[in-house]
Amino acid sequence: MAVIEVEGLVKRYKRAKEPSVKSVSFEVAEGEFFAFLGPNGAGKTTTISILTTTLSKTAGRVQIAGYDIDSQDRQVRDHIGIIFQRPNLDRTLTAEENIRIHACLYGMYAYRPTYKAMPAGYRQQVEQLASIVGVGDSLFKRVSKLSGGMQRKFEVVRALTHTPHVLFLDEPTQGLDAVARRDLWEYLDRVRRECGTTIFLTTHYIDEAEGADTVCLIDRGQIALSCPPAEMKRRLGAETLEDAYVDYLRRHGSGTEAEGPALYSGSGRTGGGRRGRGL
Amino acid sequence: MSAELTEGLVGGPGRRGLPDTSARMSRVAREINAAVTVAARDITLTVKSPGMLAMSLIMPLMMMGLIGGNLMQNMAGGLSFGFGRFMLVGMLINMMFMMTTMGMTSLVDDSDGDYSAELLVSPVSRYAIVVGKIIGSSFMAIVSCLGVLAVGLVMGLTLEPWHLLALAALAPLMCLSGGALAMIVMGVIKKNKTANMAVMLLTMPQMFLSGVIIPISQSSGLLWLLSRIMPMTYCVDLGRAVVYAGSPEYDAVVLFNPAVNLACVAAITAICLVAGTVLYARSEKNR
Repeated sequence: MAVIEVEGLVKRYKRAKEPSVKSVSFEVAEGEFFAFLGPNGAGKTTTISILTTTLSKTAGRVQIAGYDIDSQDRQVRDHIGIIFQRPNLDRTLTAEENIRIHACLYGMYAYRPTYKAMPAGYRQQVEQLASIVGVGDSLFKRVSKLSGGMQRKFEVVRALTHTPHVLFLDEPTQGLDAVARRDLWEYLDRVRRECGTTIFLTTHYIDEAEGADTVCLIDRGQIALSCPPAEMKRRLGAETLEDAYVDYLRRHGSGTEAEGPALYSGSGRTGGGRRGRGL
Repeated sequence: MSAELTEGLVGGPGRRGLPDTSARMSRVAREINAAVTVAARDITLTVKSPGMLAMSLIMPLMMMGLIGGNLMQNMAGGLSFGFGRFMLVGMLINMMFMMTTMGMTSLVDDSDGDYSAELLVSPVSRYAIVVGKIIGSSFMAIVSCLGVLAVGLVMGLTLEPWHLLALAALAPLMCLSGGALAMIVMGVIKKNKTANMAVMLLTMPQMFLSGVIIPISQSSGLLWLLSRIMPMTYCVDLGRAVVYAGSPEYDAVVLFNPAVNLACVAAITAICLVAGTVLYARSEKNR
């Protein structure tokens, strides 16, 4: 069953000559790890912003967990979690205070001014989550005192507190060192495996998409390719996903002389509005 | 390990052992809880920022101690009522209104620090967020009011306990009014510097045109018109109507019937709150 359904999505920003997203269609199945890749300015963040209800669309239809993003935006927000491109924990507060505010905004618990005053269920949940991610010792530290990797882990904890159906990760490892990146992915893999959470990822670290069920490549606002990583590598004759990605962009991507992206729908669930010459 | 992770994420049964997200609080309870949460966050931030607390206390010292004190000593001799009490009530209302208005710039601060994204993707109405912000901003206003009372005490100006209670009862409306007015600005401005400037332009003229420290009963022409369109005029006048009720100075001090003041404050607040929130929500989403 599709947990994300996007049909003919178009976004034209105010005063922009060209739409940033041009009639994009795709589906993501429940529990799927969906990697949404593309060069800068391709339309990734625009698409993810529309899917997470923070940006209005110009045309098209989008449903998340069965809810329409226009008429049922609150239900949509109830079922999604987001790790934003830029870390956005409140730096003046402690990590626990950030998580507490999140849990209360999502209606999980009535707000209490101190950690001790919160219900036992909340305290147990937060302590277990923090210890699993390996940040238990830093729970009550000010966010401004934590490293970038630690802050990202707490953002994951925060985003998962309300157990979303879909977790949107907008370049989640940007600015993290190799160890922190690996730690974060190990945890995210466990979340997906054990909780069945659907993951929608955008990233510039293409190796992070190697384990994805589907790789969807967007270029100049259109979906150029959507298929499993193995198929993408086979079609482009590349050993790694990164090689395949770079090879595709060199041949067809923005900055080349090609008029538009080479369009190909590999899974049959995805489209870029028109069929192109394929890979 | 699996059970450990699942337990960490959940509190009850649902999808793969996860709780059903829709089966939490009722919608009304959730909205109230969200407003309380947003307010509590702002209050916590204020408490953790000694600079902000210091500013809340320095403001009354400057405005009432320096400007008001000077006026009281040099220009208030010919008035038919005691200027000290007139100014004390005006400054209390002014602080409730002005500090809440200024506190609302935290909405723009949140945008700058990307925190607003966390608020905007949460499944609560924009009104809950805005009302929470106004309540949170009111905390600074209350601290400033305590500063006004302390400065007043030094200047030998006091109010009866029941007058203080009456003003405390009016405080939520005054703060809401100031916060709602600020929303008109916050709805369209996204830059911190511009927002701070706009709020200053919104509040400073009102301090002089709304009769906070300078009586406006003799204003005419453009100044008369401006004083009548300033929302704070009705807030200050309502506060004075409560404090001066039954006193011989009432007619010289109070401009309008309290019912007119109340109706004007309520109407302006409602219009600003709705229009400001709609503008805020739209400007975030419609780009």
